[in-house]
Amino acid sequence: MQMVGRLQLRDLVLRSVAAACKLVTPRGEHPGLNDFRLEVVTAVGEAFNNIVLHSYEGRDDGVVELDIQAMPDQISIVFRDWGDSFDPDSVPLPDLDTLPESGLGIFIMKTLMDIRYHAGQPNVLTLSKKLTNKSSHAESVTDPLGGKK
Amino acid sequence: MTFTVATIEAGVVRLTIEGELDVVTASELRKGVDKLIDEKPRRIEVNLTSLRMVDSSGVGTIVSLYKRIRAQGGEVVITGLRDQPLAIFRLLRLDRVMLGSAPG
Repeated sequence: MQMVGRLQLRDLVLRSVAAACKLVTPRGEHPGLNDFRLEVVTAVGEAFNNIVLHSYEGRDDGVVELDIQAMPDQISIVFRDWGDSFDPDSVPLPDLDTLPESGLGIFIMKTLMDIRYHAGQPNVLTLSKKLTNKSSHAESVTDPLGGKK
Repeated sequence: MTFTVATIEAGVVRLTIEGELDVVTASELRKGVDKLIDEKPRRIEVNLTSLRMVDSSGVGTIVSLYKRIRAQGGEVVITGLRDQPLAIFRLLRLDRVMLGSAPG
């Protein structure tokens, strides 16, 4: 999937990823699937924000490629962009005790999924996650992607 | 995302945020928050019962509101957090300081 890096396309990315999450359980329902889907969608949203806001800062013509690989009990999402490199590992984790207003996206992304980043042309950001019975979240949640924005 | 501001009594307002609060919609809320802060309320109740999804930009806007009102000597109470927004608030450990009542 290829698109222009604009925030208006964020919803399209998230809905595509949410749909792909359902493919990780070909054998039927899994008790952790809903939390899994929400954690993946939340992390991917932050990743897309970072590409548009930082890799393509000041531009609205940057190209973003998105590959989604749904496998049994796991998913892998690969973003490629040709903008400025933005290594998630170079960003210090926020001090949550100070109630930070920014820098939270990388923390959310890293907490909810496994992240790999390769700087270059393109920059390649890979987010992956295995479906388990345990959620990174504190409790089960319901799907928020069902209604209008 | 939609938001409404209702005056409950003198100096007390309820800010209700509904839908998806993300990097696209947070800028709209931020303008409303700026206006609200200028009115110097002594208490703001932020009702998030119908907030379905939030990202880091949305959280940042709510944290900004919280800090700025507190800096003016006011109080912010967040109610109704649930599902994905509650999970994100817990992940960022905001629930310890910002939740005024049991999520519902």
